[in-house]
This record gives sequence, structure tokens and C-alpha cells, in this order.
Amino acid sequence: MRYYPNIPDLNADSSINLLLRRAKENRTVDIEEYVTTGGYSALKKALTKFTPEDIVVLVEESTLRGRGGAGFPTGRKWRFALSNPPPRYLICNADESEPGTFKDRIIIERDPHLLIEGMAIAGYALGAELGFIYIRGEYPAGAKILEDAIEDARKRGFLGKNILGTEFSFDILVYRGAGAYICGEETALIESLEGKRGHPRLRPPYPANYGLFGKPTVVNNVETLSNIPIIVTYESYYMNIGPSGYYGPKLFPISGKVNKPGVYESTMDITLRDLIDMAGGMRDGKKFKVVFAGALGVYSERDLDTPMDYSPKGFGGTGTTIVLAEDDCIIDSLIVIAEFFEHESCGKCTPCRVGTYEQLNILRKFQQGTATEEDIKLLEHLGRNIPVGSICGLGYSASNAIMDALRKFRDEFYEHIKGNCPAGVCF
Amino acid sequence: MEFIYLTEEIRQQIDKYVEKFPVRDQAVIQSLHLIYSKYRDIEDYHMKELSEYLQVPLNVIEGIVSFYDMFRVKRGARHHIRVCKNLPCHIMGCKNLLKMFEKLTGEKANEYSKNGRFYIETVECIGSCSIAPAFMIDDDLYNGLNITEEKLNEILSKYT
Ligand SMILES: Cc1cc2nc3c(=O)[nH]c(=O)nc-3n(C[C@H](O)[C@H](O)[C@H](O)COP(=O)(O)O)c2cc1C
Ligand code: SF4
Ligand code: FES
Repeated sequence: MRYYPNIPDLNADSSINLLLRRAKENRTVDIEEYVTTGGYSALKKALTKFTPEDIVVLVEESTLRGRGGAGFPTGRKWRFALSNPPPRYLICNADESEPGTFKDRIIIERDPHLLIEGMAIAGYALGAELGFIYIRGEYPAGAKILEDAIEDARKRGFLGKNILGTEFSFDILVYRGAGAYICGEETALIESLEGKRGHPRLRPPYPANYGLFGKPTVVNNVETLSNIPIIVTYESYYMNIGPSGYYGPKLFPISGKVNKPGVYESTMDITLRDLIDMAGGMRDGKKFKVVFAGALGVYSERDLDTPMDYSPKGFGGTGTTIVLAEDDCIIDSLIVIAEFFEHESCGKCTPCRVGTYEQLNILRKFQQGTATEEDIKLLEHLGRNIPVGSICGLGYSASNAIMDALRKFRDEFYEHIKGNCPAGVCF
Repeated sequence: MEFIYLTEEIRQQIDKYVEKFPVRDQAVIQSLHLIYSKYRDIEDYHMKELSEYLQVPLNVIEGIVSFYDMFRVKRGARHHIRVCKNLPCHIMGCKNLLKMFEKLTGEKANEYSKNGRFYIETVECIGSCSIAPAFMIDDDLYNGLNITEEKLNEILSKYT
């Protein structure tokens, strides 16, 4: 028996059974079960039926976009890396530290071979011989599960030298982070993976040109890579899954005031409203107030028909949905988010380091009853200027939720200036 | 050099890291995890031994320890309780959970442990928001929703 640290049931469900096909129950699927339920047949198919170029074309046609937040087309990212000479590296981003996000761990802890198979196929397509999984330090069980699964895959010839008797060799190493959100940013991740402090690099050059050890590198999210076996299995049928242009399954981690928080798999034609319904509706019949899309924006009642896809009007990102009810306060919640950014700013850029500190202090004034209208202007000033003076996505987005809230819940700021908290949380 | 803190077992594990990773520096953070697991706090003498053993300059190791939260914080306790304070846990009552922990352990959150058994740390999202308010004790994860003092005490008693 293998021993893993305790993991309670985080609750996962799916109506389409693709990414979560084997992962709806709280247990780890071992290699026997994975193989007997069709696992590693996509790898076999890729290596025997397709050239690496074929795989890249399949991924391009699939319209797959990165599930790590930025939504960049995966096929295009692979093309960039392929335009540079080998050695090339593949990195799986399993840092998952965005507030409200707990989808990647479901795949890692319950169906690790899906990710491993996806990485092996991606390695084949990219002409990479070595891949890394960078997993956040707070997932100790996940790291052990992956180590064991990789070892099992090596023994069966799915990883290592001459995979399945072909010319292709590929291996995966697990690397643990140690408690820094910024290491999810791909260039900071690469620095950390090289054994350094996790400060983002100035871009360009992008990792596709100059990544790990200065070599062309593709960084992809866990969920992105787990889509690869599905794409290879389904080929053009993948384009029957979900709406045009945004094909494929998507995981949505929902938390907060819903009856059944958890990770839900769906196609991307659902709306925010449907998703909340899927999670059992509002907890205790409370009235809906707002959704925080992780730390990156707020959605009000008027936005409930937003499609959960990557279109300009879509929800996009990681799919993270934190649901708040009438008895939760916008200001109080923004303070929690602002504390997060203040704590996680790596300090390299002054506008981000100082700006996240200032916006937190200003927000606190609203809770303490000392804010004035001037403070709203100051928040807007910071919201415009922090992104401009920042070099990475953390700084670009550190004010998003506040700016969104100033547009959609402006009244709440004025109410707090008057010393009144509509939700009855502050004061 | 004699190694006091880097035990035989830890050194064997470090050797494996050095062997499998393409670059020696990649073993540093992974080795610090071994030290963190065994000793909880990473002290100067740990870093010196690691620097000696890996032949990586001490300032590089110090730079890493001071950057990463898991290694930077001095806790002075055998067991490390992490209580998540980010938004989903915040609205699901993490403050109450924190109070219970403080009461049951006699420790204050984010303060150096008094009796050396528990350190309570408030942390950002630990990726477990569907079981909010979530908490970890060492490597174990727990669901804090509707948890009672009695139940919490029972869990704590497993960590001696
Ligand atoms: C501050 C910050 C944190 C990030 N954290 C993560 C993360 O935890 N996991 C992740 O996959 N991507 C994260 N990203 C996005 C990565 O930089 C990168 O875009 C992604 O890993 C690319 O993979 P994808 O194209 O498959 O999405 C983060 C970005 C920023 C700016
Ligand atoms: S924007 Fe912020 S987090 Fe990003 S590099 Fe600059 S200081 Fe660091
Ligand atoms: S916010 Fe607490 S686990 Fe995510």
C-alpha cells in the first residue's frame, strides 16, 4: 500500500465525462485501471499513426486554448517553440494558486496518468525529451501521487527510453514549489525551476525562444495538457464537443455560497447562471450578489448570462467562480483580494510593490469608515497606473477586481463612505 | 565535513535529486523541502550544511530561503497548521475556525510557537475552496465546514 497524506472529497462532477471521466470519485486511479479503461491508447495511436507535425495540426484545429488563465491558443504556442532548434523542454504548470482555483489538483490526485499521457504526446509533438511538472508546495499528496504514477508509467514503457518500442524517448520530473503565487507566472516558474528566486523575467524573449536553461520551452497548464489525449482520441470529433471555436471540455471550480461547491466539467456553451445551477444553486436559498472570477474580476447579476468561453465577452481565464450572497460585502471581499496581491507581489516593479500596498490601505479606510470620495479617485488612479508600470500578469491584474467593482457596485463604496455597510459585515 | 542535520537518509535523497535533475541548482529547493519536513524551521546551520554538501554558494541558498514562504517563516513547532484566509474561506467562516485553533492550542496565529507543538499560520488559497474553510496540518488537508471544537480536538490529538 502506498501512503498519501489526507485529502478530503473536494467534490467533482461531470455530465460529459471527458476530463473527469475517471475522476469523479475521491481516489487515485492506478495504472492498471487507467490502461484497462482505454488509457495510453492515445499515446500509442500518436506514436504509431501520427507524425509530430500531425499532432500539432490536430491541436491547432482543436481550437484548444490554455486553461492556466491567459487562454492563449495552444497550437500556436507549440508552433513558436517548434520554430526554434532543439533541445526543447515541456513544462506542466501545476502551481495552481489563483484564489478559488482547485481544478488541476482533481486531475493530479485522481487521474494522474491522464496528465502524464498528455505530456508524453505533447513531448512527442514538440520533439522534447524531458518534461517537468512544477507543482505547488502546498500539494504534497499530489507530488507523491505524480512521482509514483510516473514510476509506474516508466515500468510499463509509457515513459523513458524508446517508448512503446519506438524511437521516441521522453521522461518527466516532478519539481515542488514552496509557497509563492508568483511562481505560477511562466517566466517566474522557469526561474524557480532553475533553482532560483521566483522573479518574473522581462519579456520578450518569450519562453518559446528562451525558456528553461535558455532553451525553447513550452509551459502549459495541467488541464490544457490533459486535453491532449482527448484530442488525439477524438480527432475531428473533438469539434463536436461544445460551441464553435471553443471546443473541448472545461473544468470550473466553484466555491462560496452555493449548495454543492466543487469542480464541474462542462462544454463552454454554458453560462454563469447554468454553472451556479449545476452547483446546486444558491446556498440556503440566499440571494445572489456577485461572482469573483478568482482575483481577476467581478460579475454582477446583470452578467449572469455571460458564456463561460474564451470569446471577448466570455468568462475566460481558469473558469474560477467564487459565488457571494447578499450577506457578503464587496468592500470586505476586495480587501481580502487586495491583501493577497500585496502579499504576493514579488517586489521587482515599484508600481506593483508599492501600488498593491497603497490600494490595500485605501480599501481598508472604507471598512474603517474614514474613506472620502477622494479615495475612490485614488483607487482609480492606482488601477490605471499599476498595470502600466508592471512587467507581469500579477501587476497587470492586481486592480482588476477593484476597477470592476467600482463600475458595477459603485454605490457600495459611497454607502461605506457614509458609514453604512449594506451587507452588515463592516463596522 | 561531518553532517549533523543532513542525515544519511536526507543525503541519499539529495543524491537522487542531483542525479536526476540536469542542473545541480535544481536540487536546492527540493532539498530544502526535506529539511523543512524533518526540522520545520530552516536555520543557518541547515543552510551551511546544505551549501557544503551541494557545493552551492551559501548566499544562493539564503536567497532562496528568504524568498519562499514555506522556508522563510520561523515557526518553532513540530506541527504546522495552515488556515486558509482567502476569499472562499473568508466568506465560509475561516475567522471562527482560526479562533478555535487559537483556543485549543493556546497559540496565536502567525506568532512563534510558545510550547513547540503547533504553529498556526494564516495562508492564501490552498486550492481546496470547495471544503472551505479549509486547513492543513503538516501534509494533511481537512474540511473545516461546520467543524466543532470537539472534532477539531480529535484531529489535533493525532499530531503529538
Ligand atoms: C501571477 C500569475 C500566476 C499564474 N499562475 C498560474 C498557475 O498557477 N497555473 C497555471 O497554469 N498558469 C498560471 N499562470 C499563467 C501562466 O503564466 C501561463 O500563462 C500558463 O501556465 C500557460 O499555460 P496554458 O497556455 O496552458 O494556459 C499565472 C500567471 C500569472 C501572471
Ligand atoms: S508586476 Fe509585480 S509580481 Fe510581476 S514582476 Fe513586477 S513586482 Fe513582481
Ligand atoms: S480560498 Fe481557502 S482553499 Fe481556496
